[in-house]
Amino acid sequence: MTETEEDLRLLRDSVATLLDRAGGEKRAREARGNRDGVNRAVWNELAEAGILSVMTSEDAGGLGLGLQAGGIIAQEFGRTLAPDPFAPVVGLAAGLLERLAPGHTLLDEIISGNKIPAIAWEERKSADAPGNNQTTYDTGKLNGTKSWVARAGGADVHLVIASSNTGTGLYLVNALADGITTKAARQSDGSYLHEVTYVETPAELIAEDENVKNALDAAVNDATALAACELLGVAGEALNLTIEFLKTREQFGKPIGTFQSLQHRAVDMHIAHEIADTGIKSSLAIMDANSDPTIRAREASRAKARAGEAALKITREAIQMHGAVGYTDEFDIGLYLNRALTLSAWLGDATFHRKRWLKLRGA
Amino acid sequence: MTNNTTTDYNAMSDEDFRDEVRTFFETECPHELRHLPHRSTWAEVKDWHQKLYDKGWVAPAWPKEYGGMGLDGAKMLIFFDEQQRLGVVRGRDMGVIMSGPLIIKYGTQEQKDYWLPRILTCEDIWCQGYSEPGAGSDLASLRTSAILEGDEFVVNGQKIWTTMAHDASHIFMLVRTDPNAPRKQQGISFLLMDMDQPGVTVRTIKTLADEDEFSEVFFDDARAPRENIVGEIGEGWNLAKALLSFERLFIGSPNIGQNALNQLETLARGRGAFDDPNFRDRFARLALDVEDHGALYARFADQVKRGETLGPDVSMLKIWITETAQEISELMIEVAGRDGATLGALSVGNHTVDVLGNFYKARPTTIYGGSNEVQRNILAKAVLGLPS
Repeated sequence: MTETEEDLRLLRDSVATLLDRAGGEKRAREARGNRDGVNRAVWNELAEAGILSVMTSEDAGGLGLGLQAGGIIAQEFGRTLAPDPFAPVVGLAAGLLERLAPGHTLLDEIISGNKIPAIAWEERKSADAPGNNQTTYDTGKLNGTKSWVARAGGADVHLVIASSNTGTGLYLVNALADGITTKAARQSDGSYLHEVTYVETPAELIAEDENVKNALDAAVNDATALAACELLGVAGEALNLTIEFLKTREQFGKPIGTFQSLQHRAVDMHIAHEIADTGIKSSLAIMDANSDPTIRAREASRAKARAGEAALKITREAIQMHGAVGYTDEFDIGLYLNRALTLSAWLGDATFHRKRWLKLRGA
Repeated sequence: MTNNTTTDYNAMSDEDFRDEVRTFFETECPHELRHLPHRSTWAEVKDWHQKLYDKGWVAPAWPKEYGGMGLDGAKMLIFFDEQQRLGVVRGRDMGVIMSGPLIIKYGTQEQKDYWLPRILTCEDIWCQGYSEPGAGSDLASLRTSAILEGDEFVVNGQKIWTTMAHDASHIFMLVRTDPNAPRKQQGISFLLMDMDQPGVTVRTIKTLADEDEFSEVFFDDARAPRENIVGEIGEGWNLAKALLSFERLFIGSPNIGQNALNQLETLARGRGAFDDPNFRDRFARLALDVEDHGALYARFADQVKRGETLGPDVSMLKIWITETAQEISELMIEVAGRDGATLGALSVGNHTVDVLGNFYKARPTTIYGGSNEVQRNILAKAVLGLPS
């Protein structure tokens, strides 16, 4: 085992311990329908353990361990169904800030857990051309509507992408500022995506130059790769629970895992998981080793396409194999399907990413 | 054998290694041997084999001390990738893939010294005698007998589905040396036999693709010297199981998927299929299935390079890639449309693609080497621990 592999193993163990102690499925249930979304006590613990700064460079006050380390953490979030916004905050917000304003005090406040940001970057009307914003910034005021904003309910600040006279910019808004209205859409796992409308909302300019678009693309690719790893964790645990169920649940006087049709389907779930595990990790390794934006975008799409497909297949099959109890809210297995659905849709599902992958590959 | 003793391919950068492989295949492999829709015969590949031999590239996975290239998993993938991209023909390689690794792992020094160089030169061309009429997926039921008379084994019985037996000089086979053993897995031995003798008769069987690909082989008092047993007498089943993991790594290698995908892409470009969003999604899905399989393959190939024994989980590779290659070949037929049942090569721009050839070639892959259903049984019990 190399030194890096050993470091990553230790990191995985410490995240796993922390999240298991915080309370896996029970906490996932409690978080459902909680509009504030974030458990600050757990969030502070994560910050103290350095987990929020794992991808931030050492120069900017982080651990600088790269995307693969972030992926290992995200996978543990998936395995334990942790409701905390790791991928949006660490992949998107911290990643965007570090690329555009590494000296801004907000970056420090984010990785130390003191402030939780929401990222408002997409718009329903320009879903196929992100960055083509109808939201505008002019002389200190924001106007417009952003869609699919994760965690806006519990956020302290909003980081908003908008257009100005000089191009695309990144702006900082206090969550309690005037002129903000939000419409919350409950997701399958009980979390919320928000549509946020800004009317003459006071905002601070963070960056406004040609780098904003590139930094946004890079941060979105990182977050996409982290979401893929989180899906991998969800799928892996759903698979474990299902195999265990097949061994113990008895019908016709024997465990249902003795039936060949179920055995073969369980094998296909296992293969789907192994293909996803090695494929996604190979994508993250390539992203860590390359700065070329096309390669990084292509690999992020490869990872998310695989993760979405595998996690939905595995969690759907898991419900079928559990039978009627699998369709009850009382039984935990459904929590995995519901989390997989939410993570699959966020930042683009498998169909979206296959399309993007093929375009970037060239065909 | 010029390069292998001096060149450490694993120390080269991936880019340099890829360049070297690509340049060699592009300049040296004749065009008529690219994307061959059927299994090659020795007569077809003889000259190409000589070039590979002179370069020292006959056995990419063998350790260097036996004349192989000694490639690690990542380099192996690059080697396959370039081979498939250019459609480089697969030679008469059963010796390199199966008999060689068996002899390297279990053979005596004398057996290594005698047989391995002859495999590399193709002086001996091997076929594999496993299946019998009554022993297919249930291989341990085999009945071909080998009885020791003096210094020779006398062999009687029948093998079937023996790939390219009509074009082989030697057969490595599982035979029953002790008919009275208490369990069917016991009393089986691994025997090497020269096929050029009166007691061996080969009858080819035409395939669905109308080709002579496999045969029945009859043994009627055929003979092999006692020293042609590999491993201990009666231990053949254990050797076969160990060898199966090499075989399953090989038949689970990315080649067949990459090759089929390349041909689908050529066909689809020529036929304008990439303008169709539905085709694009299906193509992307299959291309990603091949690419992500490559990552899993590399994991197992590296295990072999580290000298670890492969577990039963290696069967995943075969299941995934053979079923993916079948889907690719089925999509090829759809893209061909009204030409979808036309035998032989279709011309597509400056290229040709044998649509039906690819379809047929993909059929037996889910049957041979232990059908995919048998592989799933094994994985369910040995890897997932599901009860019987």
